[in-house]
Amino acid sequence: MAATAETITADTLKGVGTSRKRKEDPRFIQGKGNYVDDIKLPGMLFADVVRSPYAHARIKSINTERAKALPGVHAVLTAEDLKPLKLHWMPTLAGDVQAVLADEKVCFQEQEVAVVVAENRYIAADAVELVEVDYEALPVLIDARKATDADAPVIREDLAGKTEGAHGARKHHNHIFTWESGDQAAVERAFEQADVTVSQTMLYPRVHPCPLETCGCVASFDKINGQLTVYMTSQAPHVVRTVVSMLSGLAESKVRIVSPDIGGGFGNKVGVYPGYVTAIVATIVLGRPVKWIEDRIENISATAWARDYHMDGELAADSDGRITALRINVIADHGAFDACANASKFPAGLFNVCSGSYDIPAAHARVDGVYTNKAPGGVAYRCSFRITEAVYAIERMIDVLAQKLDMDKAEIRFKNLIKPEQFPYQSAFGWQYDSGDYPAALHKVLDAVDYDGLRKEQAEKRARGELMGIGLATFTEVVGAGPTKVCDILGIGMFDSAEIRVHPTGSAIARMGTITQGQGHQTTYAQIIASELGIPSDDIQIEEGDTDTAPYGLGTYGSRSTPVGAAATALAARKIRAKARKIAAHLLEAGEDDIEWDVDRFKVKGVPGAEKTMKEIAWAAYNDLPEGMEPGLESVDYYDPPNFTFPYGVYLCVVDIDRFTGEISVRRFYALDDCGTRINPMIIDGQIHGGLTEGFAVAMGQQIVYDEGGNLLGNTLMDYYLPTAVETPHWETDYTVTPSPHHPIGAKGVAESPHVGSIPCFSNAVVDALAHAGVTHFDMPYSAYRTWQKLDELGLNKR
Amino acid sequence: MKVTLERSFPLDATPERGWAVLENIDEVAACMPGAAITEHIDERHYKGEVRVKLGPARVAFKGDIEITVLDPAERSLRLIGKGGDGKGTSASMDLGARIVPTEDGNCELVGESVVELNGKLVSIGSRMVNQVSEQILKQFGENFGAKVATPSTAEPAADTATEATAGGPAAPTAAEAPSLNAFALLWGVVKSWFRGLLGKGHS
Repeated sequence: MAATAETITADTLKGVGTSRKRKEDPRFIQGKGNYVDDIKLPGMLFADVVRSPYAHARIKSINTERAKALPGVHAVLTAEDLKPLKLHWMPTLAGDVQAVLADEKVCFQEQEVAVVVAENRYIAADAVELVEVDYEALPVLIDARKATDADAPVIREDLAGKTEGAHGARKHHNHIFTWESGDQAAVERAFEQADVTVSQTMLYPRVHPCPLETCGCVASFDKINGQLTVYMTSQAPHVVRTVVSMLSGLAESKVRIVSPDIGGGFGNKVGVYPGYVTAIVATIVLGRPVKWIEDRIENISATAWARDYHMDGELAADSDGRITALRINVIADHGAFDACANASKFPAGLFNVCSGSYDIPAAHARVDGVYTNKAPGGVAYRCSFRITEAVYAIERMIDVLAQKLDMDKAEIRFKNLIKPEQFPYQSAFGWQYDSGDYPAALHKVLDAVDYDGLRKEQAEKRARGELMGIGLATFTEVVGAGPTKVCDILGIGMFDSAEIRVHPTGSAIARMGTITQGQGHQTTYAQIIASELGIPSDDIQIEEGDTDTAPYGLGTYGSRSTPVGAAATALAARKIRAKARKIAAHLLEAGEDDIEWDVDRFKVKGVPGAEKTMKEIAWAAYNDLPEGMEPGLESVDYYDPPNFTFPYGVYLCVVDIDRFTGEISVRRFYALDDCGTRINPMIIDGQIHGGLTEGFAVAMGQQIVYDEGGNLLGNTLMDYYLPTAVETPHWETDYTVTPSPHHPIGAKGVAESPHVGSIPCFSNAVVDALAHAGVTHFDMPYSAYRTWQKLDELGLNKR
Repeated sequence: MKVTLERSFPLDATPERGWAVLENIDEVAACMPGAAITEHIDERHYKGEVRVKLGPARVAFKGDIEITVLDPAERSLRLIGKGGDGKGTSASMDLGARIVPTEDGNCELVGESVVELNGKLVSIGSRMVNQVSEQILKQFGENFGAKVATPSTAEPAADTATEATAGGPAAPTAAEAPSLNAFALLWGVVKSWFRGLLGKGHS
């Protein structure tokens, strides 16, 4: 059989730039997704975790006898049981260690103390209550700014005497690292010579990504073959395989990690948690599959949170508002164990992109990480590593400066934005920004919303005592970690991969090292291949998440799938096209240079009708090849990005604040994003809506609060704010397109921009509404109660 | 979280009668809604149980009670209780109580307690803990007053502790009726919450 030539149009191809409907949706909206908790294996047991009620306490004894005696209980594991396996502690991504099960003391509330494995989850839950743990309470450290006081409680006794950490010298028993970037001397000189300086203390509160699906796994050890399979909610299954192999001693070829459908990750599912480790130990010991699934309280209390940066920002400027220097000092609260998810050499992530979209000649940033009696974490919640904190700092500081100079907040931005002709732009911190036209984007937004009209309205409202605020954010992100010469995780370079196989009849399957969690990879990767190879998207199957079949990759977080994974996809497809060109030349009996590519076929230049479609070429690849060419049509590409990508945007927010109740109403939110080449505009819009909504959640209500005793106040969805369609404002989206010059298809990544950019935009709007009362900053979240307290303190709520 | 409460309750009885009730730990426990002594270890050490319902959370604390002061001359009692619910909440209580004679020949019960709670209950119910504690203490005062006013007929405490409840129904029995009034307790919480609101607004 020979394939026949058909005409492929943009409609049937559904390549880059088309709003192809999401291929994932039919199964999700019909409830046919396959999540970890849907996996049921024969003979499966259930694990449940005994957790500490104390934030800091010594464990005097653990009595598991009553729990073990409960019918249906198969095992109760404590640190003592894991010790012989050397699995009572595990390495973290940040170069620290973390207790898998509490070893002699607990260091945060809800810390894992013991694990019960039982016939079903009801028996497991009952048995958890029968484990008797005798604690002796210890003094609790909650305030990160007091962590390195001389008399602060010692949290990590296991580190006693260790003066060197993974990132240099430790100066105190609760000190983890000091990280610095930029030219301190130049900054000091600039501050001395400045016409004007401003400083501002800001807290970026601890928040939790709170994916709808909590974390969990099903671990299954086949004793006969010595093979371990773990179905797991993981954003980085391949890295997890390597870690599991290193920890368990099993050959990596005997370990298979499968990430099935994932109900949202947002950074929460990057790390390895004690629940996974204990489920794996339990299945190896018991020889039966073991499922562990967190409940909501466990997810919010004990798995990775984000932010908790206590920031002191300073700007120096001339009297015209030109910024001459930036200085930011941060105390970073990392909780009881340093389990931050960062590239190994970046203890403060990419925080030194904090000069933002502005041409700042001198800059210096310093971050000191400290231990407190709080849960370990510090992941990038819908952002690249520590980008949200960096963007928040600079976008707030530039507004503080504008207020000091009594300058309009758009005008001060125009004055300082990096100009289009400065790209590629070298920042004071050493980043090379790839491309952008910031002033054009700002102009477009100001025109779209009638900025001057809004300012006029604000002045009129102020005169009547009404509170209206206009917030601006002109942000730049650095995403797509990253070049392997600087970026690695546990020593593995942060490349990513794609493998494509074209079948004889012209359809294809592709597998990637990334893993979708709602991003729509099954839709968008196929569009890239469609554009490169002329195979309709609908004929391309995308698979990810099974380490036995997919090529090695570092996973999906930090907006890296498009900058890294999509680049690998495009380049793998181009390798296939290069082979297809040779086959086409052979079939057409023409020289390779004499044929040209057109949508889905190679044509002999200047000879109408002399052409071979990809479908015909695919068939030939299996039976009619040039002399000496190996059969088949497939390729794999491991892409090591030459640089990060720098998506950017301009957001504008208008809020009205009820001065008597503190209720904030977001009247208008206009989001312009430039993510370079747009692969699927509909998915981009969806990503932006989702990111803006999560940004709204952080700004308006999300916060992980501890009382002075280390009790987590509010770890259920009664307290932890997840906005629904009812609370969520209407979003207006817009775009410009400035392709990345170093990316194969010019795409930069977009999913995190709306989260990163919207949060300072909300803050700037709220502060702008109160600026006439002398307010330069007001920490999130802006719940009605907190806002009312502020209004009351300012006296703005008096009739 | 720590809850510190200080209260005094005027009693319609002589100081001697007041002390006679206070020095009997079983009698004192019977006055506390939801509380019971479950085991006498020696005359200073007991095991006890307290059941509280906080909105959706139902908590039964089991723990050890140690009487650290029992001074008939001063008519003063001090006890320390420590326990947990086995489900991720731990609690400790330091309670002091004295019978103080008043000018009319009667007496009052003066008490102060510091309760420290850690764990799940605080995470879920911290906003209600203060109000519920106040209500429990208020009911305790009323029950104690009723007990000293009606000597010798007082029933011994039921074997199992009844459940103090706020924000939810309980199944009352005849024996527990005076010590437990779910509706009154709930209403008390609502009332004091509103008072708190108004207090702020009018200050």
